[in-house]
Amino acid sequence: MAESRDPIAFELFKNAIFSIADEMALTVFRTTYSGVLKDNMDYSTGFADANGKLVAQGLTLPGHLGSIPTAMESIMRHFAHDMREGDVFIMNDPFDGGMHLPDIFVFKPLYHEGRRMAFAATVCHHTDVGGRVAGSNASDSTEIYAEGLRIPPLRFYDAGKRNETVVAFIEKNVRLPVQVFGDLRAQLAACHIAEKQFAELVARYGPDQVEAYMVETVDYAERLTRAALSKLPDGQWSFEDWIDDDGVDYGKPIRLFVTLTKKGDHMLVDWTGTSPQVKGAINNTLSFTKAAAYTGVRSVLPAGIPNNEGVFRAIEVVCPPGTVGNGVLPAACAARGLTGFRMTDCVFGALAMMLPDKVYAAGDGGNTGISIGGYYSNRKPFIYVDFTCGAWGARPWADGLDGNSHMFANMASHSIEVTEAEHPIQLLAYEFVADKAGAGKFRGGVPFRRDYRFLEEEGVLQVRSDRRTHRPFGLYGGSPGQPSENYLNPDGANETLPSKLTMTIRKGDVFRHVLAGAGGWGDPLERDPAQVLKDVRNELLSPAKARADYGVIVDTRTWTVDAGASELARAEIRRSRGWTTTPVVQWTDAAPAAQAAE
Amino acid sequence: MTVNYRVGVDIGGTFTDIVLLGSDGTIHTKKISSSVDNYARAIVEGLTEVFAETGLSGADIEEIRHGTTVASNAILEHKGARTGLITTAGFRDVLEIRTLRMPRLYDIAWEKPEPLVERRLRRVVDERIAASGAVERALDPADAEAQVDALLAEKVEAIAVCLLHSYANPAHEQMIAEIVRRKAPDLPVSISFEVLPEIKEYERTSTTVINAYVMPIVARYLRALRGGLDRADVPARLLLMQSNGGLMTSEAATEKPMNIIESGPAGGVVGAQALARSKNLPGIITFDMGGTTAKAATVENGQVTRASEYSVGGGIMIGSRLLTGAGYLLKVPAIDLAEVGAGGGSLVWIDAGGSLQIGPESAGSTPGPVCYDKGGEAPTVTDANIVLGYINPGYLVGGAVKLNADKARAAFEEKVAKPLGIEVARAAHGAHLIAASNMIRAIRSVSTERGRDPRDFSLFAFGGNGPLFACGMAESLGMTRVVIPPSPGLFSAFGLLYADVEHHYSRTFRRLTRKADLDEVNRAWDALATQARDQLAAEGFTGADAKIVRSAALHYHGQSFDLTVPVPDGPVDDAMLRHLEEAYGQEHERTYGHRAGTDEPVELVSIQVVGLGIRLGGGGGVPERVRPTRPEPDAPPPRPAYFGPQTGWIETRVVRRSDLAEPAAGPLIVEEYDATCVVLPGWRASLDAAKNIIIER
Repeated sequence: MAESRDPIAFELFKNAIFSIADEMALTVFRTTYSGVLKDNMDYSTGFADANGKLVAQGLTLPGHLGSIPTAMESIMRHFAHDMREGDVFIMNDPFDGGMHLPDIFVFKPLYHEGRRMAFAATVCHHTDVGGRVAGSNASDSTEIYAEGLRIPPLRFYDAGKRNETVVAFIEKNVRLPVQVFGDLRAQLAACHIAEKQFAELVARYGPDQVEAYMVETVDYAERLTRAALSKLPDGQWSFEDWIDDDGVDYGKPIRLFVTLTKKGDHMLVDWTGTSPQVKGAINNTLSFTKAAAYTGVRSVLPAGIPNNEGVFRAIEVVCPPGTVGNGVLPAACAARGLTGFRMTDCVFGALAMMLPDKVYAAGDGGNTGISIGGYYSNRKPFIYVDFTCGAWGARPWADGLDGNSHMFANMASHSIEVTEAEHPIQLLAYEFVADKAGAGKFRGGVPFRRDYRFLEEEGVLQVRSDRRTHRPFGLYGGSPGQPSENYLNPDGANETLPSKLTMTIRKGDVFRHVLAGAGGWGDPLERDPAQVLKDVRNELLSPAKARADYGVIVDTRTWTVDAGASELARAEIRRSRGWTTTPVVQWTDAAPAAQAAE
Repeated sequence: MTVNYRVGVDIGGTFTDIVLLGSDGTIHTKKISSSVDNYARAIVEGLTEVFAETGLSGADIEEIRHGTTVASNAILEHKGARTGLITTAGFRDVLEIRTLRMPRLYDIAWEKPEPLVERRLRRVVDERIAASGAVERALDPADAEAQVDALLAEKVEAIAVCLLHSYANPAHEQMIAEIVRRKAPDLPVSISFEVLPEIKEYERTSTTVINAYVMPIVARYLRALRGGLDRADVPARLLLMQSNGGLMTSEAATEKPMNIIESGPAGGVVGAQALARSKNLPGIITFDMGGTTAKAATVENGQVTRASEYSVGGGIMIGSRLLTGAGYLLKVPAIDLAEVGAGGGSLVWIDAGGSLQIGPESAGSTPGPVCYDKGGEAPTVTDANIVLGYINPGYLVGGAVKLNADKARAAFEEKVAKPLGIEVARAAHGAHLIAASNMIRAIRSVSTERGRDPRDFSLFAFGGNGPLFACGMAESLGMTRVVIPPSPGLFSAFGLLYADVEHHYSRTFRRLTRKADLDEVNRAWDALATQARDQLAAEGFTGADAKIVRSAALHYHGQSFDLTVPVPDGPVDDAMLRHLEEAYGQEHERTYGHRAGTDEPVELVSIQVVGLGIRLGGGGGVPERVRPTRPEPDAPPPRPAYFGPQTGWIETRVVRRSDLAEPAAGPLIVEEYDATCVVLPGWRASLDAAKNIIIER
């Protein structure tokens, strides 16, 4: 008889099952062909029970937190009663459980003596799944049909035998089949590892006990989540933010609006009030919108809560269909990463209203996607896909981080040297840019720029960036960060480009992207002058800006702060800005006198 | 017959361990407090004490082998040299931007480690070399001079130089190095092409900077140590343990101190390797557990498994090796160690979900476990071992510290057993098992995560707490043999005695194996081999004593991760390249469970050479039979110990190591001066000729 309440055996089981999910993730990481998987960690692995409830998810991408359950539901809907040992399922359709087309899910049901006991699950962002633009992530597609190969839930392996029809369809519809199948092999290998180790668990604990412990693992995460939520204040908080535009209807802002309702051990994250879905390819699936909410809320809960269904039971997410947070057919969604990042930031904004001393100001807005694709003279394709972000909003106790990934996606940058060795691209700069971070008692993170020179005859450049007209907000007196920038040939014609674009580029063209600076936290006049001096010496802040934003006068010959002059400058700023109360959220520069001083 | 002694010295944060091993097998050991202000002093004083106790003198010492944390401490405490960096214009912040990744998810409070070179000491030169090695924009010597002058004006104590694509063409870096050497002949300079001629600018920059950052520190330390030894009339030469498990001379360590940064934990693994070789064990997993952390590594077919890079101060694994970004990245070969935050001092607690948890917080040495009776109130892993009867309830082994078993039991009763609603022995046993399961994650990460089945391995356990847990962990992992070496608590110092001199060289060399120019490949490998031979010759290893071993890192074209395979001796021809392709495919299958078809193009990523300086027939020439000189204490009486709900409490025999000359069945407790070993019911313990305890089932 199963002893389902043995706390020690349960802890041992829980360790084992999470280590399987992590080992699956490592397997994908080490065998992948694509930089998107390895460097951006744009993939996830997990383990679900026989009914498809998520029991354990590997530690990779917060942005995938809601993805596996939704995809699992779809597989169950289609195949729950038609499944056998040796089957493997594949899918990517955003309107039937997927997220966006590059994310291909692979699921394998695991059996013990003919009884289905669990599922191994993987989802990976593939370099290309066809469609009108290489990389399959254009932001200016206006319907899903242009975005690439749509794979409904299908049997990839039928009782151990590969479905060659599925393989052939995929192979003929993607630009880099060797990479796609290499990465699918990595996904299969991860499922295989899970199968092997799960069998060992069943052998040790017996099938009934394993099932009982999987249920308990989910309940345990729910208890932890609820216990942590109970310690937060009850109430309701809303926050509004704007995406500049969708890259199709230029200049038409898109509203994000969230209301958090916290009562007892439950949190409701409600997106009612968010803009209707848009033409451009930045519409989220509900699963991605959920992930944004989980990421924000988890960041104010204690560490160590396992990732599974139990967490989702305590954090409820609502978003009306037909909105940019829950697109319906034929919404294009390839570039929806932008909306996911910004919904995360919006949740953080609401959390900052709830917990003023625990949450940061806005960062750079999440990653900018840059891809350059085309054909070499021998008609072989090249596709370079880069996602980059790096400036954290200032925190109530410390400056924002300079050069650190966004909370929603713990990605790494590609090596410049490897990029240049493998692609017809040369990078001319990858470095911090001064005077862009929002001022504050704690300043926002300093953004960087990347300059790309194109070396082939002709190619297509696609860019998905934002935070141009709606800048990263500052909190509790902190200033907003400076907007993002895009230029063509900065040392020549220096043409300003929009935040989202698809254009033809030619040999020698240089594209420059500057990330938005992050928002500051707290009154800049309360910043320690020694910290201002340090930034000036490190050329992250100009002496003029030190004076204008902080009222700190730096003597650049002796590298000292002129305390007397600074006192006067601060008094002048204080007088001219005329604050009666400290502004809670700042989207624009709020100190006209400071600007006049420049 | 004159007896020569070889000395192993291992410095830890608390204790400095000294082991003397005579050519006749005699062993003398010494454990003294580390002299944190000047680590060299404790070594010299310890040796002097040993001389006084044994009548030996400096003239009897043949060689001193040393594992040190001096370099890693300088990095962790930010007490390295004031270092300047010169890099390519446009890329001033490569060192600080790092890879963007952070080691913890959902952590708003994360702080990136401070760069070892502040931005204002990072200067750029306007130059550019392409990925092909072609000079696209020539370096203007006047520009280079100006940047060097600027750093000298800032009174830097070391300079690092790392330019883009210098692995393909070092000309510009060499120009800058010459300028520095001309203007400041005594200033330590670290040039990326000399340090790590490999692609990936962040990894190369970080490694070059770390090397520069510790150069003056290590040089000063080794000078002080040499001076102290000279004053104590110990003329023996000094060899340093490297992170990769090989030794290098103190001169070589002064030039490339980046190689000795993880010197500390390497000794034990190398000792385990020597044992695996002498006993012909095809595979062992080493398990080293002390007061705060536990570490695991593997030795396969007599070779320690190495990683090509690691993070200094990266801290312990947080469940998974996927999360990188902590500490300071160092791309030099190192023993592939997995570390978890579990030790005797780890706290036992119950989380908000009602689950029993161990660590990562530790009671440290103050207040320490409850049983130390120094004010500690939170139960620890050591307290669990006391409650279970595994550790002698009266005193810590060696008798130095009195223990209070009643207090430990009371704390477990109140803080663990009652809230969980189980009896106290059950609670303590649960804590013991969960601590073991946390440590099993370290073992899995060096075995199953690399496609290795732990059941094919023996578990080799040492460190103060390793022998307490080894048998139980082996049981959970399905392993059937555990080996506990003599003096397990001193084994890291002991292991130093088994190491060989070793130098590693590697170079990025990206070519498709089917399109490689054979002459070019051979020239590149020969150049590295010559470098290795020259270094060994300078240290007195020539002819048969200088051995060259080659390997290659490969991947399927388009993959971004690679695996290393050995390269047989002899010129590289088409047949050898086909052999390497197949070897890569097999290794891929072995590690990940799948491989691509044989027509999948394979790319050579980097070429590698190890130069081995072998004396006295390898393995350091340590005698097989050793004779400890310390008398064993009397065996205490039997005591009750708890081995889980099935068996309950059992009156358990307590023995000394030498008693196992008569093999005995578990349950059994082996008490020694520096460790306690638990043999579970169902297992059998015996001694081999080298006095290792062998536990089998």
